[in-house]
Amino acid sequence: MPSIAKAMESTTVIFATEKQNAKIIPSVLVVDNYNGSQPAVITLQDCFTPSVTNGVSSPTSGTVVSRMITTVDNGGLEILGPTLEDVEILGQARVLIETMDSSCFVTLGWDFE
Amino acid sequence: MIQLLPMPEATVTPGVPKYLQEGNFVTFTDRWPDTLSWVKGKSFVIEKTNQVPYDLHYIIPTNDFKDVDLSNSSDGEKMYPTNTKTLYQVGVGFKPADMLCDLFIPAGEYCQRLEYASMVPTLSSNTLRYLGAFNSTDTPYGDARLFFYFVYRLEPLIMRLYVDYGIDYEKIVAGFLVNQCYMRQVLLTPEQAAQSDVIRYYTELRW
Repeated sequence: MPSIAKAMESTTVIFATEKQNAKIIPSVLVVDNYNGSQPAVITLQDCFTPSVTNGVSSPTSGTVVSRMITTVDNGGLEILGPTLEDVEILGQARVLIETMDSSCFVTLGWDFE
Repeated sequence: MIQLLPMPEATVTPGVPKYLQEGNFVTFTDRWPDTLSWVKGKSFVIEKTNQVPYDLHYIIPTNDFKDVDLSNSSDGEKMYPTNTKTLYQVGVGFKPADMLCDLFIPAGEYCQRLEYASMVPTLSSNTLRYLGAFNSTDTPYGDARLFFYFVYRLEPLIMRLYVDYGIDYEKIVAGFLVNQCYMRQVLLTPEQAAQSDVIRYYTELRW
């Protein structure tokens, strides 16, 4: 199971690129805002390019769908495990923070299905 | 030409391979057309095999579909043989997804339908959408139960991959295993004929 920890040094941080023949199934998300300067509003996003279909001949490149949102107070820590079990990411897994904060750390672990 | 293997009710030891093996016999019925004269009504022994896995993937929005042509046509997936002595036995399974798969051969003609005139797969119908459609539990990825048999210049087989309601987008991953079989024509003894796999033309699915 791959995982990676990153500081939220920009508002959008990429955690995993798309694996073409699989979905990304997040298994753990840790938001460490112990030293954060404000509450962290964290959004787990799914970024992908849909296929050409019968209904859409020119699909939008970089379609973004928010899969989960959580808020962690400054001085707080949140660990999400089993609550992620129904979250699926079709393309690139990335995390959005409402206000950039390099003291806020996010760890994402995932499986492929 | 199209075969869905049901779940087994019992197991045997040693197991029976799903895919054609070297030394197996295949027989094409007389219903194959004259335009495919290299197989029509003929029997073959499989002399060599080579298995080639291949995945195709699509991200499709809800209540939409994509037609995937498996033939060698210009916008097809080029999964047909280019040699009259080659048979492709293709197993396909799907990763878990909220999807349906209808089959057409040739384009526009449903493979899975009932005899009554209106009983054809219809994606705009809340009930007929599910008629004749395979889903990812019918033929799971890595345990394919849906098989196609492709020969040189066979008409295009179309897989219509549909994403059902209840989800914004879905990723459909179709896992193929192409069992490339090199055939040599033979005259079968009655014993060999009894062991031979019969490959029927798609028109024999409709009688």
